[in-house]
Amino acid sequence: MSSTSQKHKDFVAEPMGEKSVTTLAGIGEVLGKRLEEKGFDKAYVVFGQFLLLKKDKELFQDWLKDTCGANSKQQGDCFGCLKDWCDAFL
Amino acid sequence: MASMQLTDEELFSELKRLGFTPGPVTENTRPVYLKKLKKLREEQQQRGSRSGKPRSGAVVNSIIGGGNTTGSRPASHDVTQPSSNRRPGRKSSVLGFSSDESDAEIPLKRKGLNHSGRVDRSPAFQQPKPRPITPTVVNKNHHGAGSPLNSNDSSRSPDGHRGVSLVWGARARSSPEAEGRDYDESGDEDDNEQATEKNSRSLNGCGASHSTPSKLAGDYSDSDEEEANLGAEDRRRDRLGGHRSHTKAAFLSQGVGRGPQTGGAAREASPSGSVNMVGRRREEGEEDEEADQNNHVDSGDGYSRSGDISRFSIGLRPRFSSYSSLSQPYRSNHSNHSTSNHTYSQAALKQKLSPPEDELLQQFKREEVTSHGSFSAHYLSMFLLIAACLFFLLLGLMYLRMRGSGATEADADKVKKDVILQLLLSLHDHLAHIAGMCVCVDTFFMTMLLFFFSLSQAQNQQFEGLVLESLEWIIRSDQDVGIRLIGQVPDDPVTDINEISRLESTHPNMPFVCRFRRAFLTGISRVFVFLVAVGLVWSVVFYIKYRWRREEEETRQMYDMVERIIGKELDSLSGDKTFSTCLFFSATLRSDLTEPSLSCDKSTSMPSKVWQGKAFPLDRRNSPPNSLTPCLKIRNMFDPIMEVGENWDLAIQEAILEKCCDNDGIVHIAVDKNSKEGCVYVKCLSAEHSGKAFKALHGSWFDGKLVTVKYLRLDRYHQRFPQAQSCTTPMKASGPHLRAVGSTDGTASRASTSSSSSSSGFS
Repeated sequence: MSSTSQKHKDFVAEPMGEKSVTTLAGIGEVLGKRLEEKGFDKAYVVFGQFLLLKKDKELFQDWLKDTCGANSKQQGDCFGCLKDWCDAFL
Repeated sequence: MASMQLTDEELFSELKRLGFTPGPVTENTRPVYLKKLKKLREEQQQRGSRSGKPRSGAVVNSIIGGGNTTGSRPASHDVTQPSSNRRPGRKSSVLGFSSDESDAEIPLKRKGLNHSGRVDRSPAFQQPKPRPITPTVVNKNHHGAGSPLNSNDSSRSPDGHRGVSLVWGARARSSPEAEGRDYDESGDEDDNEQATEKNSRSLNGCGASHSTPSKLAGDYSDSDEEEANLGAEDRRRDRLGGHRSHTKAAFLSQGVGRGPQTGGAAREASPSGSVNMVGRRREEGEEDEEADQNNHVDSGDGYSRSGDISRFSIGLRPRFSSYSSLSQPYRSNHSNHSTSNHTYSQAALKQKLSPPEDELLQQFKREEVTSHGSFSAHYLSMFLLIAACLFFLLLGLMYLRMRGSGATEADADKVKKDVILQLLLSLHDHLAHIAGMCVCVDTFFMTMLLFFFSLSQAQNQQFEGLVLESLEWIIRSDQDVGIRLIGQVPDDPVTDINEISRLESTHPNMPFVCRFRRAFLTGISRVFVFLVAVGLVWSVVFYIKYRWRREEEETRQMYDMVERIIGKELDSLSGDKTFSTCLFFSATLRSDLTEPSLSCDKSTSMPSKVWQGKAFPLDRRNSPPNSLTPCLKIRNMFDPIMEVGENWDLAIQEAILEKCCDNDGIVHIAVDKNSKEGCVYVKCLSAEHSGKAFKALHGSWFDGKLVTVKYLRLDRYHQRFPQAQSCTTPMKASGPHLRAVGSTDGTASRASTSSSSSSSGFS
């Protein structure tokens, strides 16, 4: 079993609804604040971006890095989280 | 790349052109796509510079480029696709010579695919002549003179320099006469061929290459005729040049070490190509030598020599210059870099032809190289065969010699010796007969008569005087003639003939019956001995097996006793070896009693009804992502047959409540006492509560059993337990935790809250 964090599991366990962007795996307080400043205040907005980039790992991670300065681990976590959510609910 | 001013549409189309299908370009995705575009363009450039293997790269790229965009690395692969698309004919075109072809490719790529037209044409040229003949097309372009051929020859040998000059001298000598600027190709070709062959023979090593050049020349000439693009004169010239270059190519291919000799060869991607180019370049260089001394140094851009085929008088040019000059016209075909006077101004036409020719020449040379390799292999096999034959021949001769030497011993007194031998033979036979009878009949007195018997017999024949002599001879010779001489004292070696009192045969010639009988007896005895041995072995094996079975029996009995002991702690058995072992086993098993591996009968001291951790972490695969109903059915909580006591169902209820102590939404629990599966039905306040309970219970170990949970439909639940419809108050665990065994209890009670942590620990 791949090592996923509790945040990941919590996020993937149910529809994201109106969850804040900080509930995404890899996105903590600081990164969440940066994202909110850029306009990505909800998890679904980030998810929208994820879809816009056609669920491409590299692109999304690049975008995440550019937007909020996430490091590679955080990028990976966020991407994995959204991807798993897609697999479960989309 | 100035991509800053790209609009969204431009960016989009640019990305698409590079083979990557992007999503919508919005203000958020724009920077990402810009970066992507940069990366793709860089990769493209990189790929373009590495034009050594365009076709392989193209193929690979196309394969990978067809990949998805959503893959982890979509863009990098996609980039290659357009490059591959742009070079459709590349693959075929780079078959042959590659030297000029690849060189042509590099500038092509550098100029950003502007020469694709020319590139495409080269494939078109090559396709009609896929044979190795195509080198002639290449050669045509540089119209090498005889000297170029010389350069070829020289290039062929490893120490080609000297050879080259020699060859060149020869060629120059031969070529001038044939050279006549009139391009009498046939004559020239013949002369060249002969000269080539002679020269090639003079050179070391590549003896086998003679045939190939001539063949190639012939092929080239054929292909020359096929070449439609050249005019008649061009064709002739090409043929001549092609012939030369062709031979040159042949030699070059054989002398692979030529590559570094020409600077121009450095441009070649492949060594054979470089070899080709070297040869060609030299040819051209030679031709152009008069006009331009730098040709040989020109590395790849010296296409200027294309016209110097008329320079047949260059025979004495130094090899390098000749090489370079040879290659020059070839090159110049490509790039019109003509600094020297071109007698042939095929110019653009030749340029287009040279790439295909180069490729063909390249291919041809490669084939020659391979043929050369196979040639040596052929030689090797022949050599081995001959060696084996010689070896066997030698062996036979030696054998004969030995035989002869062995047979030629007795040459003195041959006649006498023969007589003696005959006498001895008869004596031997007689003695053998007697001995055989003796052996069979077991009478000894016969031996006494032997001597007299044989003597009388011998005297009857003509060997009278020789009897004694023969006996003496027996004594003298060390050979075993089958007759043993026995003196008065047995077992004493007889040295003097007078001591002989008896003769005995060492090879008794027994009658058939006796022999048969003896053989039979021997056989029987031997078989008997063998059977005895087999019987012995079998008995040993049997005994071992018996012992092993006995031991197994003993251990089984021991295990039975151990099992019984586990059940009854205080049993004491009679003094027995197995008893001690049983005690030992029981002691070791005692420590495992807390493990959920044994499902034992109830014993008050034995802990039971405890939660013993989680078997697997709950994830998407083994549990529904969200709780479906508020009703749960829990399986494998107990075994109704094994349960003893009055209120075990209550205990189970308590256990469940404790497990879900943080979940205060359980309103009804029903333990189905009669279910073989050990089912417990739970109803919760809501789906969320049941989900939590599910997470807490599913996959946990309870009392040594793995508990599974599934959701039930609410209406079914109410059908079954109508009293549950009215339950709305959450149930709580009553009293302190009863089923505690040391620390495990704490773990069990906290299991619900820590299930996630434990599950994460598991993962």
